[in-house]
Amino acid sequence: MKNSENMSQGLLKLLALDHAVDFLKNTTISSDALTWKRVCGSIATVLVILLFLSGAFMALYYSPYPGAAYDSVQYAEFDLPFGDVIRGIHHWSWNLLLVVMLLHMTRTFFTGAYKPPREMVWVSGVLLLLVVPLAIITGDLLPWTQAGYWTTRVRVSIISSVPVIGPFMVDLLQGGPRTGIVALTRFYVLHVIFLPAGIISLLALHFYFLRLKGLADPIMPSRLPKRNIALLPDMINRWLILFIVVTLAIGIATRFWFAVPYGDPADPSDSRFVPKPEWWVLFLNQLVSIFKGPFTIVGSAVIPGALAGLLLVLPFISRSPERRPVRRWKEILVAMLIAAAILGLSVMSWIEHFTSTVA
Amino acid sequence: MKKQLITGLALCVAAIFFVILVSSISTADAAELTLTANMVKEIPAGPDAPAWQKAKAIQIPFVGKEQFAGKKADVTAKALYTADTVYFLFKWKDATQSTVKGAWEFDGQKWFHRKGNEDRISLLFEINRINNFATKGCAVTCHGPAGKPAKEFKFATASAAEKGDLWQWKAARSAPYNAVDDGWLTVAGEKTGRQNDAGGGGDVKNEVTDKSKPLYMQDPGKKPSAPGFLLMEEAVEIKDYSGFKAGDVITYQMPKKPDGSRADVKAISSYGAGGWTVMLSRKLDTGHDDDVVFNARKKYPFALALFDDSGDENSYDSEVITLEFGR
Repeated sequence: MKNSENMSQGLLKLLALDHAVDFLKNTTISSDALTWKRVCGSIATVLVILLFLSGAFMALYYSPYPGAAYDSVQYAEFDLPFGDVIRGIHHWSWNLLLVVMLLHMTRTFFTGAYKPPREMVWVSGVLLLLVVPLAIITGDLLPWTQAGYWTTRVRVSIISSVPVIGPFMVDLLQGGPRTGIVALTRFYVLHVIFLPAGIISLLALHFYFLRLKGLADPIMPSRLPKRNIALLPDMINRWLILFIVVTLAIGIATRFWFAVPYGDPADPSDSRFVPKPEWWVLFLNQLVSIFKGPFTIVGSAVIPGALAGLLLVLPFISRSPERRPVRRWKEILVAMLIAAAILGLSVMSWIEHFTSTVA
Repeated sequence: MKKQLITGLALCVAAIFFVILVSSISTADAAELTLTANMVKEIPAGPDAPAWQKAKAIQIPFVGKEQFAGKKADVTAKALYTADTVYFLFKWKDATQSTVKGAWEFDGQKWFHRKGNEDRISLLFEINRINNFATKGCAVTCHGPAGKPAKEFKFATASAAEKGDLWQWKAARSAPYNAVDDGWLTVAGEKTGRQNDAGGGGDVKNEVTDKSKPLYMQDPGKKPSAPGFLLMEEAVEIKDYSGFKAGDVITYQMPKKPDGSRADVKAISSYGAGGWTVMLSRKLDTGHDDDVVFNARKKYPFALALFDDSGDENSYDSEVITLEFGR
């Protein structure tokens, strides 16, 4: 035991990591940073790391060329050991990440934890919530399936309808009006380089501000005394248990029950294909359906942009230090009305796209 | 503390499963015609095997072209698989059992070809990706050399990288051997893009050099293994034509015993009650380069063509169907 400890110390010294490890050991953190009430943030971090690891594996076999992309994804999924599990982890992790981030944000909102002095913790979190969908959108095209291709075509047409910047954005994204090899290459580069870099930067900012400003105290004061624990090993061990459980749960689910759905290879000449929106864009899809013609921009940019803007400026317009929900009933009511509208639009869109198909 | 940890983790796992379940519903593909092969432990010995009762049947619609233009047909299809073999069962109505294929008939003075072709069902899978086959089916296999009319090449892929696996059950030429003529499809050469799988098989024209009469007849010393058909290895050259009487019939296109990769797909077929029943079986992975490899976790687009006493372009064609393997 003593020998192995000496060996590991020696190895850390050799790699010049001893100071970093000492720093982590001496860093303390509130013991309730990872409790069941605050678990969503930690799960979100687990999911982001799972997305990076599984994505790195898939990138080893992926070929960003329309004639080869579909088969390269199929090869990695079906011909490599545990390829289906890894793709499943990647696929379900982003679905879960959106849900967990929304739950995390909802809790932060209801407990008023976004209020000063934690404005920038909230803002960095909202920016993360806005960047993750971009990663999903760029990732949808990469397997070069019918669904991914035609969903991208719909999204590109929505982007192009935005006055002034729309056509420029389309040119920037896919190098012209066609969704072909240039689009696939650019989406790939965005998906594996720029957007992960953005996510890492925003995560780092989020944690930096969190460390600087500290966790918000519980609304109802705890009877138990506040306790600090070491980041290494106590908090990291807790987090690792969560990491293992989440990884196993998604891996087992995808291997035995929920294989990643995949469709036919993209056929750009098959305009009969009508893509079905994913669950998280149902309400946006319905907005675009409602506002047509000259009002398209209202559904495609004004309302979504206003919602995103409202989220970003929330801590700056809600300055009262009051955090108890009953005393903030007006803003809670507005938030619930917005949530109900989003849910209602989503249900309408779901009915339109998923119940009218004749099997 | 321990109880709280276990309860919390269990709730986490349950929540993960719930979210995956909900999001898997919304990401489901658009509905299309899918043939699901269910896993069975017992090998279906024939079309009446009890195992087929576990298989879900689908009705595949066919649309006629050329001489069948404007007509429709449909085939009932089922599929099963075991650890190493996939089985298909096809049933379709056909008022006439056609196995003539231009057979010779003697009218007492001379030999002539009887009118009639054969019934046939063809399946096309992808060995390597055929561009847009999954959405357009056999329509994308109309590629021939520049300047050649379509009827001369019939069937080919657009490039050598695209390869199809073509199974043809032929009532007159492969059924007598309980087999399917297993071929593959590639880019067009001089004429067709259809190629035979490695090995022997196919058929040989039974005719003398001036094409006026048959060259072979059933070897009197051998019992016909497929009554009504003259098989190549049971044939002997005709030395004396004087023994034939009016109404005698001899096979024109004599089937040859398939072997090697060309004999990979087995068939059991019968005609009765105004229709055909054809059961096909093949190893999931034959180990041959000219065959599609079936991985039970993947889906395979395929298309069918039905020939009713016809050949060439005179067929009923199906849309693309997806073959999937149940877990």
